[in-house]
Amino acid sequence: MASISARRLAKELHEIQTEGCPVGINLLQADDFAAWQFTIEVMGESLYQGEVFTLLFRFDKHYPISSPAVQFVVTDGKTSPVHPHVYSNGHICASILGNEWSPVLSVIAVCLTLQSMLASCKKKERPPDNDRYVRHAPDNPKKTQFHYDGNSP
Amino acid sequence: MSQREPLWYCHECGAETRPLMIPDPACASCHGSFVEKMDNPSDDPRGFGHPLDTEDLGSDVYIPALQSLFGISPSRNFEREHRGSLGGHPETGSAPSVTFSIRNDNGVRTYTFGGSNTLGGRPPTMSEFNRRGPGADRLDPGINGSLMAQYLMTLLGGPTGSLNEIFARGFGAENGRMGDYVFNQEALDQIITQLMESNAHHPVPATEAIMEKLPREVLEIGSPTLQKDCAVCKEQFSLETEDPEEQVVVSLPCTHPFHESCIMPWLKSSGTCPVCRHQLIPQPEHHSQPGPSQNTSGNDRRSPSSRSRSPGGDPSGFLQSLFGSSMRFDRSSTGGNSSSSLAPPDQRNNTSSRGGNHVPGGWDDLD
Repeated sequence: MASISARRLAKELHEIQTEGCPVGINLLQADDFAAWQFTIEVMGESLYQGEVFTLLFRFDKHYPISSPAVQFVVTDGKTSPVHPHVYSNGHICASILGNEWSPVLSVIAVCLTLQSMLASCKKKERPPDNDRYVRHAPDNPKKTQFHYDGNSP
Repeated sequence: MSQREPLWYCHECGAETRPLMIPDPACASCHGSFVEKMDNPSDDPRGFGHPLDTEDLGSDVYIPALQSLFGISPSRNFEREHRGSLGGHPETGSAPSVTFSIRNDNGVRTYTFGGSNTLGGRPPTMSEFNRRGPGADRLDPGINGSLMAQYLMTLLGGPTGSLNEIFARGFGAENGRMGDYVFNQEALDQIITQLMESNAHHPVPATEAIMEKLPREVLEIGSPTLQKDCAVCKEQFSLETEDPEEQVVVSLPCTHPFHESCIMPWLKSSGTCPVCRHQLIPQPEHHSQPGPSQNTSGNDRRSPSSRSRSPGGDPSGFLQSLFGSSMRFDRSSTGGNSSSSLAPPDQRNNTSSRGGNHVPGGWDDLD
């Protein structure tokens, strides 16, 4: 029996392939049900005009009960957006990736949320604790307990 | 109480104390008046008259020995060797062992850690050790020295594996932490980070009782539920599945339906509706979502005023949410130390009473 996670991801992938991604989001790689990559850019007027970022999703076997581990790719010359909720190692402080994850959300829903997070950014700056966090950050951002509040990570 | 209050030292008991002020300071245990406030670190009375005795056991050599044993910094003062068995016990197992010798005035003492199990098939329990104790001479090698060390090492490699886990966890050299102790700056930083971030609010899982009481429907031809989707797996409910579990539909109080096999794992991690976040159990404050409004009219719409998290007139709900969140252990803790998660207290009781994880030398072992 295919696991719930594989069935759910197969369904999401099928929808992406038949219906396409929302504007500004493109599937880069989805060879298995362990890790997918997307490019993401903010359309229209924003501080990130012309910048294209790569998002990495990693799924465990409990997806969608457990949230995917989502981060920006910062290898191979790729960078993470300079944003108050995005660390320079690509980790993202967003409540829907942690405590407020719900299995109703999907990979595309996460992409859209992050796209709008970038689009609404008022000032390009790193989180105030960027250096300290990046120095000791675990490889998997899900191992970090972010404290979410509106303004600072 | 403040930890910074200076400790006192009672010279009559020879112990640290918090004195009674009656009104002159007196030791809380012996009521002696020969007490001294320890506010000057350079003149610590604890060392007075009790110089550390280092020559007797050569305790300073134990530290490098242990370090070499755990591979922290292999020391050349000790020979490491691998042996198939210990002297006199021709066993065929080839467990690695570490042997080292300590020379002092009384001669040479040789310790062997690890190696084959010479104590029999399984590690003896602590009570068996105690039973040997009574008639025996104090110098009985059965309970001290190398055999005790071997007993401990046998436990490490023993079938229970439980001590092994504890050690693997504790000696996680990669994070520089062992229990409550930290060995380096990085580990301390991690703990500080963890403390600063530990006010992140974790979702509270639904209780077994809540989950049991949820209404279940076995799908039948013509059921209106067949028109709906399960929001977790995103599949429409269907009679055409081989898996009978997928024909059981659970409806949450907010009327949202799910496959039983889809919603139960979620409720065990968060007692909320995945669709509308309706709370089956009060959630920590940050989830500024509608509280568990008892909307029995079947009306899915809830009052727009429910932004406030814990209704003021419901202290029990507030307590429950406080208690609930403090009872929950992190599933993913900071610092790459995720293996240290603990089972919730009730679960832990279950395992120990079941006896499946019998730890030799545990409390329940003593009769």
